Amino acid sequence: MSLTRRDFLKAGLGAVSLSLGAPHFLALAAQAANFDPRVAGKSKILVVIQLAGGNDGMNTVVPYGFGEYYRARPTIGVAQKDVLPLSNMIGLHPSMTGINDLYKQGKVGVILGAGYPKPNRSHFRSIEIWQTGDPERIIETGWLGRYLDLSASHTCGSDYPLPAVNVESSLPKTLSAERVVVPSVANIYDFKFATDQHYQQDRKFQLEVFNNIYAKFDMERPDVDMLRRVGMDSIEAADYLLKVVQNYKGTANYGDSGFGKGMKFIAQMITAGVKSQVYNISLGGFDTHAGQARVQANLLKQLSEGISGLQKDLEDHHLDEDVIIMTFSEFGRRVAENGGHGTDHGTAAPMLLIGSKLRGGIYGEYPSLSNLDSGDLKYTVDFRTVYSTILDRWLAADSRQILGANYENIRFV
Amino acid sequence: MSKSKSQSALIPHLLRRAGFGATPDELACYQSIGYDKTVDQLLKPEKIDNDKLEDLIKAQNFDFTRLEDLKRWWLYRMCFTKRPLEEKLTLFWHGHFATSNKKVNNPYAMYLQNLAFRKDGMSNFGDLLLTVSKGPAMIVWLDNQQNKKGKPNENYAREIMELFSLGIGNYTEEDIKQGARAFTGWETRNSTFFFNAGQHDSGDKRFLGETGNLNGDDIVRIVSQQPAASKFIANKLIAFFVSDAPNPDMSDDLAKVFMKHDGNMKVVLKALFTHKDFMSDRAYHAKIKSPAELVVGTIKTMQVQNLDGDLTSTMSRMGQSLFEPPNVKGWDGGRAWISTNTMMERFNFETRVTQQKFDAIEGYISPSEMVAQQKLTNARSMVEYFLNLLVDSDVPDSAKQELVRYVSADISGKPLNAIPDDKLLDAKLRGVVHLIMTLPTYQLA
Repeated sequence: MSLTRRDFLKAGLGAVSLSLGAPHFLALAAQAANFDPRVAGKSKILVVIQLAGGNDGMNTVVPYGFGEYYRARPTIGVAQKDVLPLSNMIGLHPSMTGINDLYKQGKVGVILGAGYPKPNRSHFRSIEIWQTGDPERIIETGWLGRYLDLSASHTCGSDYPLPAVNVESSLPKTLSAERVVVPSVANIYDFKFATDQHYQQDRKFQLEVFNNIYAKFDMERPDVDMLRRVGMDSIEAADYLLKVVQNYKGTANYGDSGFGKGMKFIAQMITAGVKSQVYNISLGGFDTHAGQARVQANLLKQLSEGISGLQKDLEDHHLDEDVIIMTFSEFGRRVAENGGHGTDHGTAAPMLLIGSKLRGGIYGEYPSLSNLDSGDLKYTVDFRTVYSTILDRWLAADSRQILGANYENIRFV
Repeated sequence: MSKSKSQSALIPHLLRRAGFGATPDELACYQSIGYDKTVDQLLKPEKIDNDKLEDLIKAQNFDFTRLEDLKRWWLYRMCFTKRPLEEKLTLFWHGHFATSNKKVNNPYAMYLQNLAFRKDGMSNFGDLLLTVSKGPAMIVWLDNQQNKKGKPNENYAREIMELFSLGIGNYTEEDIKQGARAFTGWETRNSTFFFNAGQHDSGDKRFLGETGNLNGDDIVRIVSQQPAASKFIANKLIAFFVSDAPNPDMSDDLAKVFMKHDGNMKVVLKALFTHKDFMSDRAYHAKIKSPAELVVGTIKTMQVQNLDGDLTSTMSRMGQSLFEPPNVKGWDGGRAWISTNTMMERFNFETRVTQQKFDAIEGYISPSEMVAQQKLTNARSMVEYFLNLLVDSDVPDSAKQELVRYVSADISGKPLNAIPDDKLLDAKLRGVVHLIMTLPTYQLA
């Protein structure tokens, strides 16, 4: 079933104009005025972490109990003594100590062998598949973009001026939506409208002129409309988010990386009461065709520190029951290592889910290491079942409408 | 509109696309020779004396083993070259071959690759592809250094087809495996190409229908001659130079030219810049400026002479870090340039360029001088002048009115009832130039 714009409109969005006028400003301004820290028990939040480049799942959730693993990876196989065991057959990469601790507390769900039929090994097509939720057709909206559009229609749009926040410079297709504009804010401190500091009073007047011009800058050209929307949203979001960060108080440790800082920014927004249901962030560098061991160890360390930092911060603020964190990647990598102590593009890989309300544990079967698809793992869990579970059972949405079909739910929440 | 008049109005459009915009003097010069002769001149960079740029560059003493110097070197070239298309095409190929120093970790190798784009960018596509494939930057970037007889590394074979010449769906996984074998032994030593015969698999291979003891040169030759390559490159050129929306008719036309002329880029580009669709209303102001176009274009249009300051970091924050494209596909471009984050970066760059201080003691632009030179004496004519210069006056009337209101007020916004003194006028002009640059149409090329 293809999700067309007509379908969205039928689903009750109504004939809402795509350009944003004055009411949008007022909503944002109102939100900024009523600065309102989050109270637990409100709507649920999803934090999506994209591992960019194709994370090697086999060295993340290591099948140390299987001989084939070491035969296929004579130099890059993770030694059994180093693995953090989850069971007597599989365990976590040694860098992931924080996530391992959370697993012992029952807060981590490990979904094994996530993938889809006829896997694509091109970075771009495969990441698009995961982001849009459609392995067959090239569509323009993301699975969470569609969720946000549907969600906005039920709550009259203006209550959610920041429906989601992308903590990156550019917006991934995951959050690409027909109506909703998702702001991207990589670094809050650079994110404000600046004018010549010699003339302080000029800033207020320039902003007034800017807003007046933008309010009427209607040229009926799609690119101009988009630039106009983004311009207006940037200014409003900036004022609001700065306030958010200034009010944050916390002691959780996120590690030193850019990724850690981004995860902390997410915590700041959640604790400040930003009314967003989805946060997106990515960690890149996983395309380990050569010299994998050191690179992946470092990245998984950043991932683990960032995730455990966020979880601890949420627990300190008593907001951990409202949040689930999810990781995914465009594909896993080949079973056998290549000639450069690395791995080439592959297929299925695990997904990690973290949260206090999760039913922690291992879900699904580790894909067979001998019954392969031209040297690659065969998937055992369709990733859309993970998405449908989150949509149906966590975000209280209609997964059938968003994914285009019914997918079984997994009982991790 | 008569053909010649509309063509002359198209020259700013041509220069924004085939170059990075133009200074007022350059524009006057191109207008005087007309559209067709401008296209011809752009396509014959070898006939244009670029000594002034090369002297300017020598004086900067760049160290090509340092990435920051390399970035600034290229920015100088983009801002001050007299061969705009040569430079713009270098940027196109850089995005196309999307090699990042983040992994190559050898600025000198990146420099050599950049020189190859400039030197061979307008020759035949197959020749450029071969030069790039043998370059040290590419060999490291796509792991061909690890591609050895008996243990092939498929990365280069896959990406040369998927990303550089054919696109997905025009080859099979088997072609990738066989192509990988053909590239075995292609290594780099001391930033030069080295053929390691001992690691080369010289067995028979079957690749895209051809069999034999194929090596890397053969793979490059075969892919460059595929009809799929002509379409693939045509579409890439259209996406970069013409419009963000695909144009199948233009694509077919350019692909035919490509096939007929063996991938000769000069001939293909001439067909592109003289194609009716390039000159149509639909193509006008229809592309979102990349950070390079925004930054360099601003510098050229406002005649900024000095490039002090962290312009290359600014471009990075806008999403385009030269020599470090974000992934093997290069930069997606189009709407992908625009997010709340990058929009704020653009607005703030524009503040820095227009205000009185920008990492140096003097201001960077002289709007008061420009206005005096044009002998403009009232707010409306000043606003019209800058609107024409910066956005071809492509704004609704309400925007112009509001800008006039801005210029006709004092620093806090109270309407003026006397002629502003020089200091106030200068501040207002800087403010209005800033405001114009934050308008949606200033983001369009």
